[in-house]
Amino acid sequence: MTRIRRGYIARRRRTKIRLFASTFRGTHSRLTRTTIQQKMRALVSAHRDRGRQKRNFRRLWITRINAAIREIGVSYSYSRSIHDLYKGRLLLNRKILAQIAISNRNCLYMISNKIMKIK
Amino acid sequence: MAAAAAAATKFNGNMKKALAGLRRINLEGLRWRVFDAKGQVLGRLAAQISTVIQGKDKPTYTPYREDGDMCIVLNAKDIAVTGRKMTDKVYYWHTGYIGHLKQRTLKDQMAKDPTEVIRKAVLRMLPRNKLRDDRDRKLRIFTGSEHPFNDRPLEPYMMPPRKVRELRPRVRRAMVRAQIKAKGQQQKGDSGKIARRKKESLLLETSASNHLPSSYLGFVCSGDEIDRS
Repeated sequence: MTRIRRGYIARRRRTKIRLFASTFRGTHSRLTRTTIQQKMRALVSAHRDRGRQKRNFRRLWITRINAAIREIGVSYSYSRSIHDLYKGRLLLNRKILAQIAISNRNCLYMISNKIMKIK
Repeated sequence: MAAAAAAATKFNGNMKKALAGLRRINLEGLRWRVFDAKGQVLGRLAAQISTVIQGKDKPTYTPYREDGDMCIVLNAKDIAVTGRKMTDKVYYWHTGYIGHLKQRTLKDQMAKDPTEVIRKAVLRMLPRNKLRDDRDRKLRIFTGSEHPFNDRPLEPYMMPPRKVRELRPRVRRAMVRAQIKAKGQQQKGDSGKIARRKKESLLLETSASNHLPSSYLGFVCSGDEIDRS
């Protein structure tokens, strides 16, 4: 059999990976075999955390809404306000409520006063 | 102003310790909340302090940024605990050397340094992450009711009202027995010489100032009593 050189095929594949991992720290962006592994780990983390991101943000919104709502009354809390929201059939989600809590606190108080009165 | 200056000079505690690391904290926009620990139950107070210190009572809470208010706790020596915790709650710690597990009861710790009790309680309620040390720096605890921060805009913190559960039967019976005993002693003491002289002096005071001291009425009991042993 004649001798066949592999040429540039492997190099082309590896430069793509190196480009992806070009901002990594230390040998994770310099050594080929390490960069391949680190790219794999990075992509796995990104995939997993795209689901986590939704969870994390919802947690943050809930904490923020809780903080803003507790200033209304003595034993008024996030759980009670959500219950009132559902009773009043108000479709605001937690993201919007949290934004309202930060930017326009009076609006939040108006909303909560209205839903508290609904029996 | 004079009162503030007088209160500041009265604070002869550890001034260095009280002002330690204040420069490290970015103090703009932070409130100074004052907690009065007198008569508060240890854990419940510590839970409230930990939420305030983390900044979880603000709608701009961000988990990676340290944004809590400065917390000043006064009257640390008057903190209360329920049950037999005063004698039975033990703080354990290991020094790292083999066999050197040390321990100290709440009573001894209060005698040594009452501020450590509250500090440990709050610190152990904070999440164990990189912000914990910064949050510790924001906590200032004082044994008495004087503190050197009188010239700042302070805000007292109102503790939320608490539903104290009614006493368990055995504890209630013990309390009733103690009440009866105290009343019996009062009645016995009323007929003695010293008690008669006290009564006369108190009557003179009342005629002068129109004010009956409540301690003269004997055992003062409030409705829901926390069982303090």
